Amino acid sequence: MGDSKIVKKSINMAMIAGRIMLESSAETYRVEDTIMRLCSTNRCVDYVDVFVIPTGIFLTIGYGDDAMTYIKRTTSKGINLNKISLVNDFSRSYINSTMTIEEAIEELNSIDNESGYSNFRQSLFGGFAGGFSALLFGGVFIDFIWAFIISMIVVYIKHVTLSKFSLIGFMKQFIVSAIGTILALLVVRFELALNLDMIIIGFIMPLVPGFIITNAARDTISGDFLAGLSRGSEAVISALSIASGVGIVLNYYYSYFL
Amino acid sequence: MFYVQQLLYAFLATVGFAVIFNSPKDTIIKSGFNGSMGWLAYLLTKGLTDSAIAGSFMGALVVGILGEIFAKVFKKPSTTFTISGIIPLVPGAGIYYTMLALTEKNFFSAADSGSETVLVSIALASGIIVSSSFNKAIMNHLSEKHRKKSIIEKSVIQK
Repeated sequence: MGDSKIVKKSINMAMIAGRIMLESSAETYRVEDTIMRLCSTNRCVDYVDVFVIPTGIFLTIGYGDDAMTYIKRTTSKGINLNKISLVNDFSRSYINSTMTIEEAIEELNSIDNESGYSNFRQSLFGGFAGGFSALLFGGVFIDFIWAFIISMIVVYIKHVTLSKFSLIGFMKQFIVSAIGTILALLVVRFELALNLDMIIIGFIMPLVPGFIITNAARDTISGDFLAGLSRGSEAVISALSIASGVGIVLNYYYSYFL
Repeated sequence: MFYVQQLLYAFLATVGFAVIFNSPKDTIIKSGFNGSMGWLAYLLTKGLTDSAIAGSFMGALVVGILGEIFAKVFKKPSTTFTISGIIPLVPGAGIYYTMLALTEKNFFSAADSGSETVLVSIALASGIIVSSSFNKAIMNHLSEKHRKKSIIEKSVIQK
């Protein structure tokens, strides 16, 4: 009887670790490796098998004559590289330590409650990202300033205002890029800056799905074709939603105001 | 001077992306460096071959390799260094110019920049694929050597 309780606890612990990583959009193989590592340290576990897709975790543990299977449905909560790295460090240190499972769960929960950078700081650095992207693609100083301000507004709206509504990610990107384009058009209309192109490219850059392309490629080479395909299609749709947000506003502008 | 400016801009832009993605504090500067090296590789290859696609491939390759090296040295997941470094190479400009051409009903140039955008994204993905599969091959090779050694050591101990 003792065995089954311990196994349940260790499944619970490994599931929390896996859920945190998957919600922070870690690669599939990293989540699988972490869960494997955390489970197989337990002495009474004979067999571990885990299957991870971008929206769920399936975990089976065999012990003695018995086996247990848990399924966990997860929803992505955006990108948080800090949590991924913290859980990764934790799983490495857990193997070589004499930590009990209760302590491990406590530590994982404290990792889960870690609140990344403040919204203000995120939008400030979003402004940096957008502004310097505008300069990279050949903008001048005045473009930098406007791209900086509009990217700040866009990142703030995406992370703070729109996260209050339960919108899907693509809709958020559509709305945000439409708002950004309207602002850029206003700036150019009142002749505060000249290069509409550079300002729009600047605020697009913090929104583009570079993260998803990277993860899709890494999932595909590690043999997780399901995750690779689904993330690849996510990248395509999110690029399309940004493009249509920009395009619809530009289209209205060109047909009514010019 | 042009290259110094561009490197500085790429560095600062990558630092911005790293904060948006909630990177750990001690990796932000390193991923900024990674991003600027990737951008340098992009610029040099683009200057040599006059092709943004080849440039993006080389850029992604450099970012991927540096990311794996940083991951080994600083004991962090390699994505913390790779992801923010790759973003300046993502064809945000291509997306915009495609859309602009479509709104102007200029379908030839839309097809032109649209196909370049798609190909650049594929080049980015393949750059990452090449770098991380090399990394995997090298790691497997090393760990096999290591394993053989440990088996030999064990058998020596048992004797």
